[in-house]
Amino acid sequence: MKLLKEKKNELDEVNKEFLAETLNGSALLHEALSTFVDDKLKIESLEGVIKVEKRCDGLKEKYVQVLYKDKRALPFLVEDRYNILMMIDTVNDKMEFFSRFLRIYPFKLYKEIKDEFRNLYRACSLAVEMLVDCATLIETDFDGAYKKTFEIEEKKREARTAKFNLLGKVYKMNDNPTKVYLTSKLVTYMYDIVSWAEETSDYLRGLIIKYPSK
Amino acid sequence: MGKMALEYIVIIFLVISIIISFGIGANDETMAPLYGSRILNMKQILILAAIFAIGGALLLGEGVSKSVGDKILLLDYEATGINQNAVVMTILISTALVLILSSAFGLPISSTHATIGGIIGLGMLLGGGGGVNWSTILEMSIWWLASPIVGYTVTYSVVKILNKRKLKFLKGFKDFERSENKYSYIILIIICITAFSRAGNDCSNAVGIVIGAGDGINLTLLLIITGLGLAAGIMVLGRIVIKSLGKMTELRPSTAFAVQVPTAAVMLIGTIQKIPLSGSHLLVASLVGLSKASNTPMKKGLWKIIAIWLLTFPIAAILSIIIYFPINLLI
Repeated sequence: MKLLKEKKNELDEVNKEFLAETLNGSALLHEALSTFVDDKLKIESLEGVIKVEKRCDGLKEKYVQVLYKDKRALPFLVEDRYNILMMIDTVNDKMEFFSRFLRIYPFKLYKEIKDEFRNLYRACSLAVEMLVDCATLIETDFDGAYKKTFEIEEKKREARTAKFNLLGKVYKMNDNPTKVYLTSKLVTYMYDIVSWAEETSDYLRGLIIKYPSK
Repeated sequence: MGKMALEYIVIIFLVISIIISFGIGANDETMAPLYGSRILNMKQILILAAIFAIGGALLLGEGVSKSVGDKILLLDYEATGINQNAVVMTILISTALVLILSSAFGLPISSTHATIGGIIGLGMLLGGGGGVNWSTILEMSIWWLASPIVGYTVTYSVVKILNKRKLKFLKGFKDFERSENKYSYIILIIICITAFSRAGNDCSNAVGIVIGAGDGINLTLLLIITGLGLAAGIMVLGRIVIKSLGKMTELRPSTAFAVQVPTAAVMLIGTIQKIPLSGSHLLVASLVGLSKASNTPMKKGLWKIIAIWLLTFPIAAILSIIIYFPINLLI
């Protein structure tokens, strides 16, 4: 039983570290995007996001190793926590993918879409932050986490509006088709981050309902 | 009967008692909630089940019963010259075979039903319609119908009460985890006690026939062999039943508690009041009650279990008729 407790504590620690790294990744992406909108893209921030994703992958591996290092029955809730971790890891993957894409994006952002683009990346950062909050809250406060899931949903709606406003403007641009195409991709890939964050929050809401609180 | 012949018969009886204990062990679903709620994994469960099967058989199995079917079979052995040993053995072997067969398909059945089915078959074969005490069967059948209803109702109510309590006090995963941990210790203790007492109870049926076969038999050794038979049954086929029942609906330590405690309590009341309730029926009905109360879906297979419950009687009856003749010739 002592071993089981140690294992659980180790899993808790890895989980906390993982969530902190995710938050760090989101902050770095936000920083990179704010500089990108001002036409002074800070490549180090993008590199930071990529490094964060790599660290998260390492933590994920560590989590799996702790989980399966002995053949005990899975302690209660471990499977659900593992699923949450995997889903948040996909958020990290999407942020990393977006960062790599932005690093090779060869144009400056259209002036006409800068404001809307800010709305989109703010919604994106907030959604990821809220998701990490939600995953932390679910440990001690079902009600708080439950409310948070709706806030994430709201952010997704905002991001969706921003995305289609942006795409509407981009598609009407009478410009280099490569730039139009790649800019539309930029918008879509960023929206994917919010969209996945919202999907993860849906899963969290499902768990809150499953462990009866609502 | 010569000395050799007696030894020969004792050996046959011993082998048959092992088959019976194997059959009973194979259909022992006591540990299913532990597996379903993942408190222990299958390997740990089987080790624990084997320990308690041997321990229970050795320490509690001395209350040997040789009165299988006394109340239900209306046969005058002396007047008709029917071999009572052959009758008892037939009933026990047919019970064991039905249990082994259903366990191989992962279907938990009532060993009482299998025994009664065998008794009905033999009673009708040897004494016609009057060979069976139908009024006792009718009285018992009311409880057979009542068992699942009681299991369902009690568990449904317990789950609802537990959920209400959780709504008030459990605020997050951490609280939940702490609460579930407590339940997992409680359920572990309850199931171990149940497995221990059940092994003692079950081995009586297997040991009875050997004790009846001759004097001077080492009872301790016999109980150990029976316990090993029970343990082997659990390990070889019991795991299929444990797995299929444990996975019937989503279980957590607290819901496993809600399933197991009412089952054990109702069984205890039934035993004290001498009401023949079926532990398997109670457990399956409790799982259905849990599923309904907590809005979690039941896995496929419930109807298969209900079908085998209904078929247990005719299968056991036919089987006992078939095997009675060779057994009668042998003894």
